[in-house]
Amino acid sequence: MAKLHIDNVALRFLPKGGSPVTALENISLDVGEEEFSVIVGPSGCGKTSLLRLVAGLTQPSEGAIYLDGHAVTRPGKDRGMVFQSYTLFPWLRVEENVEFGLKIAGIEQAERKRIAQRYIAEVGLEGFERAYPKQLSGGMMQRVALARALANDPEILLMDEPFGALDAQTRSLMQELLLKIWEHAHKTVLFITHDIDEAILLGDRVYVMTARPGRIKEKIDIDIARPRSVEVLTSDRFIAIKRRIMGLIHEEAVRAMA
Amino acid sequence: MLPFIEAYFAPKKDIPRRVYLSVSTLVGFLGLAFWCALAYGGLVRPDFLPTPVAVAKAGIAGIEDGSLLVNTVASLTEIMTGFVLASIFAVPIGILMGSFKIVEASVEPVTNFVRYLPVSALIPLLILWVGIDIEEKVAVIFIGTFFQQLILIADVSRGVSHDLLDVSYTLGADRRTVVTRVLIPATMPGVMDTLRVTLGWAWTYLVVAELVAANKGLGYFILNSMRGLFTDQIFLGIMVIGLLGLIADQIFKLARNWLLPWAANP
Repeated sequence: MAKLHIDNVALRFLPKGGSPVTALENISLDVGEEEFSVIVGPSGCGKTSLLRLVAGLTQPSEGAIYLDGHAVTRPGKDRGMVFQSYTLFPWLRVEENVEFGLKIAGIEQAERKRIAQRYIAEVGLEGFERAYPKQLSGGMMQRVALARALANDPEILLMDEPFGALDAQTRSLMQELLLKIWEHAHKTVLFITHDIDEAILLGDRVYVMTARPGRIKEKIDIDIARPRSVEVLTSDRFIAIKRRIMGLIHEEAVRAMA
Repeated sequence: MLPFIEAYFAPKKDIPRRVYLSVSTLVGFLGLAFWCALAYGGLVRPDFLPTPVAVAKAGIAGIEDGSLLVNTVASLTEIMTGFVLASIFAVPIGILMGSFKIVEASVEPVTNFVRYLPVSALIPLLILWVGIDIEEKVAVIFIGTFFQQLILIADVSRGVSHDLLDVSYTLGADRRTVVTRVLIPATMPGVMDTLRVTLGWAWTYLVVAELVAANKGLGYFILNSMRGLFTDQIFLGIMVIGLLGLIADQIFKLARNWLLPWAANP
């Protein structure tokens, strides 16, 4: 049985003073245990809406979502999320941010501290435990956000273009860091991006979405050996997959413009 | 172009602290010099514009006979009571109003109505209802600041990022935890700034109330001095109010840095 099962989901809404919009339609996909799945699509295709449905922050108009066989009805700590925007709590220090989920779960202080320390080290931020978010760079803030999500030990990690706001160099370092962490944390990940390179580099599977209404256009298995590093970006296999995905997305972009 | 114009007149550029302080001091002295020239040069009649020395003397006399202290304490008591009362209610209600539509629906219409009533128009009614003692001043300050605070704090609360609340839910927080541990702390810098601004307004309402009807307080002191054409005392009263405002503002600034070291500066 799949870890995450999205079963024929649709999302419709009525904008204020507008006509009804179908954001998502006929979405079905399965994410296996410890699998890294990536959803890529043109902007406005509803990728973020889909991730919010999985997080339980929004409810689907049709269909259902199951995690380990249980229907998703509301947000919960079994689905950790990293947002594109900076979402650290500015009034909490780095270690307190990472401990947030543990603290509200009632885990005692010594244990909290131990877990937080482990994930702060994992994202390479030792020495910044006592810093406030305003003292950190964008890349550092996203590393704390990742540590905070991981510290809760979620069943699945949902990532909504987490590196989208970062500069190219930082983004590529963050991708390598994420790969390294994923390779020994063995988390199930559902990752959203509009960056095709990022999708292929990170994913076991890449789902290409159509322009609005968002549907799954194609599922592509990424048969590039792991562990991967940014060097695979120039390999022949990578370029072949990239060409294929670019073609699919281009079709959608053209269709959306028409 | 002159080199210092090149260096110090660029928009949004910092200037050396030394230059900053020198300019502030210089302008202060220029103002004082202008005042001296008008007063000592005989350009303005002394009962219109007192000399700086006369104001200083009035200050010493006021301290010696205790009248300055009595009136200052009276005004401070009134303003603190009214302001603290208004804030105690406005902060929690404002935070809820900005984040819960149901609270907004019940509070906002009446707030927007009252907010546009000039408090000075209510003073005669308040005198009729509660007299001219401290209760009336507190009522004027309360009505004058509470509704403004409510709207401003609701805006602060409305401005708290949705993602900040959403990420808290995905970390396992329930609604109650999100309100107490995320929404409320997130509003604190904005709340502090609102309190700082509205305290200045509260001073205005207080003096207006005291000018209309009072038997002590700085506004009363000023009005009483006018009756005897004691311009030096009028100036003294105005300066004490200005000074108290400046001190209060500095206290707010320090408190913000001390209580909210994590917040970005406004």
